[in-house]
Amino acid sequence: MNKYSRRDFLKISSVSTAVAGATGTLGTLGTMGTLSAQNTISGTKTVPSICEMCSTRCHIEGRVENGKLEFIKGLKIGGNGDSVCARGGSGLSQLYDPQRLVKPLIRVGERGEGKFKEATYEEAFDLIAKRMGEIKNQYGAKSFIFSSKTGVSHNRMVSFANSFGSPNTFSHWSSCPITYEVALEQTVGGGLSRDYGNAKYILNFGHNIFEGVVISWAKGVMKVAQDPSAKLVVLEPRFSVLSAKADEWYAVKPGTDLAFVLALIHVWLRDGKYDKAFVEKYTVGIEKLIESTKDTTPQWQEAITGIKAEVVEKVADEIHKVAPKCIIDWGHKTTTGESEYQRTRAIIIANVLMGNLEKEGGIYFSKNASAVNKAAMMDIAPPLAKVENIPAPKEPRIDGSGEAGENLFVPKTHGVLTDIPKAILSKTPYEVKGWFMIRHNPLITVANPKEMKKAMATLDFIVVCDVYMSECAQMADVVLPEATYLERDEEVYEASSKAPAYVIRNKMVEPINNTKSAYEIFRTLAKRLGIDSGYTWDTVESYRMAQLKGNETLYKDLVNKGFVNFGIPPLLYIEKKLVDGFVKKYPTAAENVDTDGLMSKFLEELKTPSKKIEIFIEEVEASFPGYGVPGKHDMDVAKGFPYILTSGKTAIHTNGHTQNIPFLNMLMNDNPVWINPITAKKENIKNGDTVYLENNVDKEKAKMFVTEGVRPDTLFVYMGFGRESKELKRTNGMGLSQSKLLPLTKGPICGTMITNVGVKIVKA
Amino acid sequence: MKKYLMIFDENLCVGCQACSVACRSENNVPDNVFRLQVRVGTRGVFPNLAMDFKWQSCVMCDDPPCVTVCPTGASYRTADGLVHIKEDLCVSCKYCMVACPYNARFMNPITKAIDKCTFCFTNRVAKGEDPACVTVCITNALVFGDVNDKKSAVYKKALDNPLVFPKAHLGTKPKLAFIPNKKGGLL
Repeated sequence: MNKYSRRDFLKISSVSTAVAGATGTLGTLGTMGTLSAQNTISGTKTVPSICEMCSTRCHIEGRVENGKLEFIKGLKIGGNGDSVCARGGSGLSQLYDPQRLVKPLIRVGERGEGKFKEATYEEAFDLIAKRMGEIKNQYGAKSFIFSSKTGVSHNRMVSFANSFGSPNTFSHWSSCPITYEVALEQTVGGGLSRDYGNAKYILNFGHNIFEGVVISWAKGVMKVAQDPSAKLVVLEPRFSVLSAKADEWYAVKPGTDLAFVLALIHVWLRDGKYDKAFVEKYTVGIEKLIESTKDTTPQWQEAITGIKAEVVEKVADEIHKVAPKCIIDWGHKTTTGESEYQRTRAIIIANVLMGNLEKEGGIYFSKNASAVNKAAMMDIAPPLAKVENIPAPKEPRIDGSGEAGENLFVPKTHGVLTDIPKAILSKTPYEVKGWFMIRHNPLITVANPKEMKKAMATLDFIVVCDVYMSECAQMADVVLPEATYLERDEEVYEASSKAPAYVIRNKMVEPINNTKSAYEIFRTLAKRLGIDSGYTWDTVESYRMAQLKGNETLYKDLVNKGFVNFGIPPLLYIEKKLVDGFVKKYPTAAENVDTDGLMSKFLEELKTPSKKIEIFIEEVEASFPGYGVPGKHDMDVAKGFPYILTSGKTAIHTNGHTQNIPFLNMLMNDNPVWINPITAKKENIKNGDTVYLENNVDKEKAKMFVTEGVRPDTLFVYMGFGRESKELKRTNGMGLSQSKLLPLTKGPICGTMITNVGVKIVKA
Repeated sequence: MKKYLMIFDENLCVGCQACSVACRSENNVPDNVFRLQVRVGTRGVFPNLAMDFKWQSCVMCDDPPCVTVCPTGASYRTADGLVHIKEDLCVSCKYCMVACPYNARFMNPITKAIDKCTFCFTNRVAKGEDPACVTVCITNALVFGDVNDKKSAVYKKALDNPLVFPKAHLGTKPKLAFIPNKKGGLL
């Protein structure tokens, strides 16, 4: 339709005539800009797959014309209709970005100097295998640490690290969702989903669903926001999009959500307005909660949160009236402080008091194939087989995760990222010599990058797999360009909600310049290092078939449709109408139904030590006295500084991943710091002024954005900017990375990174 | 006879820019120019605030000033009432850009012709699909269709809601309507 030429990678790359190994061409070393045009495929097709522009894994469909991906939309049958967010729609802008890496690089200058030569995968794999082997021989396998964002890259990495013999595997969890993951596991024995769309009341604590977009959640919460008979109440220090769509917004002081929840619980317990039958039947420890919240009154919280006492009374009453169709949302990483564990536990328990577990419009366990087969007393959905079973070495970790001590409750494959610099620099408990990173850039996403960089600089060997020349890639000895998610076939993923479903990632286009996936990278390296005896698969196809236990029909269905469910009706164990519907379809399920017509037995065999919902957790109390039940803890985040710097997500970018992607960079290329006009006046700051933000960790330049949308004692910044890699040409030097001002201290129990921090303003 | 209408519900929009990205992707919009944007702004005094989500694109006037001023016939109105640009007739005089009350037109930095939203007419709507922006919207803030078709979603949406036509007083009769924001932050 348009005569002008598209911003087409073929066109762009055809003008650059690079020779492997050469520098100074139009494209920067190792990037796609150095390739010449090649395209031989013709025809149009649509491919179902899964997104990876954030962690959500929404179902997508790509339109591919003549071998080139032209458009991404939602996969209709996946439940979100055609919807895809800005980041998801920009996947092709990353795929065809001339600044993207497509050739391995080997360091030739000093570490961190940014001098590399282009190499083949063969050369890169040879060097990695040689150096990893040498380090293993000289210092032991445990001296090599591994980190990745969770997902398949993390799964493949953990199996590889286990084969290699290192216990030191890390994920991004401790810098993000670790608190709710651990708290849910401890309290109810596993993860829970939120039935947003059917709720009549949502109390939200800064869970920024319209900016940290998860499409299905955004749809559900929007339904509540628009329903005149339902209510959305948001506590958030800044006026977010979610706050703007809420029925009520309360600008809570950062880090003090816990006080509000404790007061809410106090009111319910004081007035006996909670689901006593539910608490009696399914929980342990209510008496400890009564004791710990006896003086956490609405008046008490007013001085801490800045929210009037009568608001707590009103919210408590309103929620109780619509319970169990209510959700008190524990959020994701909701930028709190040391109180995050207690806050998240208190919120989970607030739900429990309303008896909303396994109720429509409440919260629920996802019903995967095993769960429904158990409920139906017959096989109605095929469970996935676990393909990799390579045991982890039993040696102590550098951060002591999962071992007696401060990180006892931190899951071993996730670890505590903020403990890494100290372990490396102090050589305690032992020396670290190497680091393998994939889909992970802790110099942007983890606190105190200066200290982290200092630690990295002491290492003998660093490997980084990334799509871009990230800050960590600049520190590497070998940079392996990773195929983007649009060029990768991957395993079958769980997508169960109230009924089982599976999805699969299919490659939409052939990998540009044969870039490799995590499967290929780790499988190849395992072979080269001679440590692959534990592997039972060779290719992604064999991995998939093993997962599906050879079920070819299901395999084909998944590949062709991208999403498969089994026509199983939704099930919530104690929602009578859903139990009725389930039993009607599967009469054998009647055996699991009690005299009330419910499957309550499944709530009495939870995977917790007591088999019940643990309001009080004995093992936590034993190691962290006072923390077994939610109570008043650690709510000061300013620590004597006049202002609190808090951070959050935008719908346009994902953490530290997307800032350089053309489509998204065009929409947002900076992150000025929000400051209230009253504070700006006091500090003599005008909109657009540059100042320093300073605390005990560092002093950083920041451009200020004067807005009414933030508390006068709070500063707000979107995440992921302040990039230092010069190869991220669009975003280098733009904005502030708040990580630079965050301390390496961590929240108790879960080892969570502190993301609310006190700062002062100093004139530039 | 078809009467196309696009409705943008400000209450449902979250300003996520999925529409803008879909437009760029579908129509190969050159870097750093936009056929459509959602502009988000906060008003009020803390903590009594509201957030506005304003749609910015061609509104497909039924009586389009850009067509009237075009000296070459490059800007034209179709039988369906849509406004398009014939690139090969465009001499980039920019009269239309000045005449447009909606600031919806820009010069394409590659073709140097004037460019704007097309409702994705030839590439999607003519094939029975929705425009790209409507297709991807994560909260269904956009509805598009033939408002003369009483079975259409757009007819129902128009019937159930108060529609505001931008700068209606100018008599341009836009085929893009807004449902104004009802919500602000409270307390």
